[in-house]
Amino acid sequence: MAMLTFILKRIGLALITLWILSVIVFFAGQLLPGDPGRAILGNLAAKSAVAHLDRQLGVDRPLLTQYWSWLKGIAQGNLGTSYTFQQPIRPFITSALTNSLKLAVVAFLMCVPLSILAGVVAALKIGTGIDRAISVFGLSAIALPEFVSGVFLIEILGIWLNVLPDQATWPPGSGPFTQIYYLIMPSIPLTLVLFGYIMRMARAGTAAALDADYTRTATLKGLSRRTVIRRHVLRNALLPTITVIATQVSYLIGGLVVVEYLFHYQGIGGLIFQAAQQKDFPMLEAGIVTVGAVFMVANLFADVLFTILNPRLRLGGTE
Amino acid sequence: MDENQRYIDSVRRSAGPLESRVIDDFVSGRLSRRDFLRRGSIVGISIPVLSAIAAACGGANSSSNTGSTTTPTGGGKAGATLKIAGVVPTAAINPLTVEDEGGLTMLCQTGEFLCFDNPSTFLVEPMLATKWTPNSDGSVWVFDLRPNVMYNDGSGPMTADDVVYSFQQQCNPKGKSNALSTFTGILVPSGVKKLSDTQVQFTLEAPNGNFPWIISSDNYNMIIVPKGTDFTKWQSTFIGTGPFKLVSYQAKVGATFVRNPHWWGGQVLPAKVEHIFYETQTPQINALQSGDVDVVNLIVYQGAQSLFNNPSFNILVNHSSQHRELSMRCDKPPFTDPRVRQAVALTLNRPQIVNALFSTYGQVGNDSPFAPIFPSTNKTVPQRTQNIAKAKQLLAAAGHPNGFSAPLYTEEYQEIPQYAQIIKQSASAAGINIDLHVVQQGTYYNDYWLTGEMSLVDYGHRGVPNVFLEAPLESTGPWNAAHFKNPTYDKLVRQYVAAVGLSEQQQIAGQIEQLLLNETPLVIAYFFDGLSATKKNVGGVLTTAMGQIFLHGAYASA
Repeated sequence: MAMLTFILKRIGLALITLWILSVIVFFAGQLLPGDPGRAILGNLAAKSAVAHLDRQLGVDRPLLTQYWSWLKGIAQGNLGTSYTFQQPIRPFITSALTNSLKLAVVAFLMCVPLSILAGVVAALKIGTGIDRAISVFGLSAIALPEFVSGVFLIEILGIWLNVLPDQATWPPGSGPFTQIYYLIMPSIPLTLVLFGYIMRMARAGTAAALDADYTRTATLKGLSRRTVIRRHVLRNALLPTITVIATQVSYLIGGLVVVEYLFHYQGIGGLIFQAAQQKDFPMLEAGIVTVGAVFMVANLFADVLFTILNPRLRLGGTE
Repeated sequence: MDENQRYIDSVRRSAGPLESRVIDDFVSGRLSRRDFLRRGSIVGISIPVLSAIAAACGGANSSSNTGSTTTPTGGGKAGATLKIAGVVPTAAINPLTVEDEGGLTMLCQTGEFLCFDNPSTFLVEPMLATKWTPNSDGSVWVFDLRPNVMYNDGSGPMTADDVVYSFQQQCNPKGKSNALSTFTGILVPSGVKKLSDTQVQFTLEAPNGNFPWIISSDNYNMIIVPKGTDFTKWQSTFIGTGPFKLVSYQAKVGATFVRNPHWWGGQVLPAKVEHIFYETQTPQINALQSGDVDVVNLIVYQGAQSLFNNPSFNILVNHSSQHRELSMRCDKPPFTDPRVRQAVALTLNRPQIVNALFSTYGQVGNDSPFAPIFPSTNKTVPQRTQNIAKAKQLLAAAGHPNGFSAPLYTEEYQEIPQYAQIIKQSASAAGINIDLHVVQQGTYYNDYWLTGEMSLVDYGHRGVPNVFLEAPLESTGPWNAAHFKNPTYDKLVRQYVAAVGLSEQQQIAGQIEQLLLNETPLVIAYFFDGLSATKKNVGGVLTTAMGQIFLHGAYASA
């Protein structure tokens, strides 16, 4: 019951946050340079033609009217029509979000176990050469932008050695294993970027848990090292790591514009970026709210997982 | 009188005044063979007759066609599936409103034009029209339509009604067609008339010796569609008379076409062509290098160097009139004084700029829109060169002995940001301090292009200089970023546009070029080639400098 109440509260908060996000993105979008009519008709179109199209699109209406009109549509499940493509927005968002989720899952599956393992090993071998090597590698990986490592990977693995496809777009009708194969290359730079963050949090959490009284007690009780780590250390060490992982979701879902362009992948980051460039407001707003919603869901999931793993929160206690 | 002379005389007797002038110019040596072929094709002399006259005159082939087709060994076998990497269309594919490279590439897959400006022969050739005839001053043109041309959905045949409808939609001044930038002042809907089921007459607002070029494939919006076509829904059918028909189109992703079995032009070699859209050039180059695509349409030299001088790829080169215009507001100090404008132009080392930005794939410009590829360009006008000392002298004489400061606005597009940096550095040698602002393209066009004190803008290829002469430089030109108002210039341009004979055009061009050197409302430092790349085993690909790609003869040999 307490858990249900907790989840319902978080959902309510998420909806309010999404609404605030929609207001911010709508009015911030008005500050974007450019004009939808100009973006559609092109740079050389006559001003009268641009003004005429702006009227047809309704962008000359008062802002509050435009926003209300959009909000009503969203509430009815209608994401609207793209100014740029003159087509319903939903298929664009659905397709792009699906692609981004697939890439995020592959990147997560590649990155999270590796990072956690490396962080735990570093903590267990704290102060040794292994710890330093892992930490230095993690810091270096954070510092290397994903578009730089991506270019190297494409050149070496995709073109010279030809062991992986240099584009992430698989042939139509490809099965899941083929799709995963095409997503390996773009997942590697993402793994490198995220590795450092997650590894360092796992290392810090594990080191703190290893130093805790309950760990000492468990060891003194005669439990094996492996059992102590598995049953007592990891569960406490990974709690902050879960939070860090959840915060990377929005980056993985909506922040991969350069990676998507580099690997020719139709994700939602590129869709939103293009919509911003072309002042395609309906697409921009729908894209950002979608990414926001995914982020809320991911955080909700992380909070629930956090609560499940932490009985003190479940039983209403404090840390 | 020998047989050759008798033949030429016989052609003259049946030719109109415009055609006769072109023949006379060639026979008297005022036109090279290449220019004769081009001018003759524009005024409607058929290619066989042109060739026969050229042969009769025994003219040497002075053509410097680069050709944009490739012929690898292995021959042109039918049945290939070709993958083409291209720029993503930025909006819906509507023949009225397309104005971007990606969109116009799509239009020409299934759409066709009355005439075709062939980039490999430099001739304006028959396409959906078989011949065209001007009146004595080029103010009325009659086009004979090709019979029995079916549309790719099996409907048809194409009739004069379809042609009239297509043109009236595109040249309607109350419409939103991108083609209005070409048709304004030349053609209005009431000037398009059906004479018969197979003939259409165009009555122009003013005489125009280049009209067939103006409605050719260079006017990329001007495809012929069935009467009553809803252009806003064209993207779902891609209906046209061209060699392909649509299988699927997915915005931002790509398009697939298969052979049109009804095509009037004979066999279409490829069984299927798949266009894959890319946001940027780098993944296109990667895709070609890894073998994922067969052709990359329209690349820029910067960033594609790995493809050049590489035995694994063919580079298709189209000399073009693409250029950048650095305009200076003639109505705002300090640019009200032409000496100041000349000083800016004199700071640039043009050959060095061309080499830095384009290697050997560019040509030096002389601050007028007359590109080296135009036959009418007057090449006797002296080329402006860098002269910092003279620039300083002119500035001092204009009251700026210590130079001055001015903002320059430009767009993030291709090599333009680098060129803008070069301009800034070059100008500083004469004491001119340029405050450079590089902004996103939409922002630039909306807020700075026509208002900035100094403004640097891109111009795509045109087959004749008319649009370049009118829109950016005439007193009432819609793209007059320099706010240049010169009645002498306006009059010369009117004369140029009306001129039919090439020698007459060259003579007027010389006056225009000299006037623009004296006034320098804008700096045109270079023109550059249109480039595409294919795998070594791919041939028969025909590209144009503006981004069209014609694939009906394309093949991939083993």
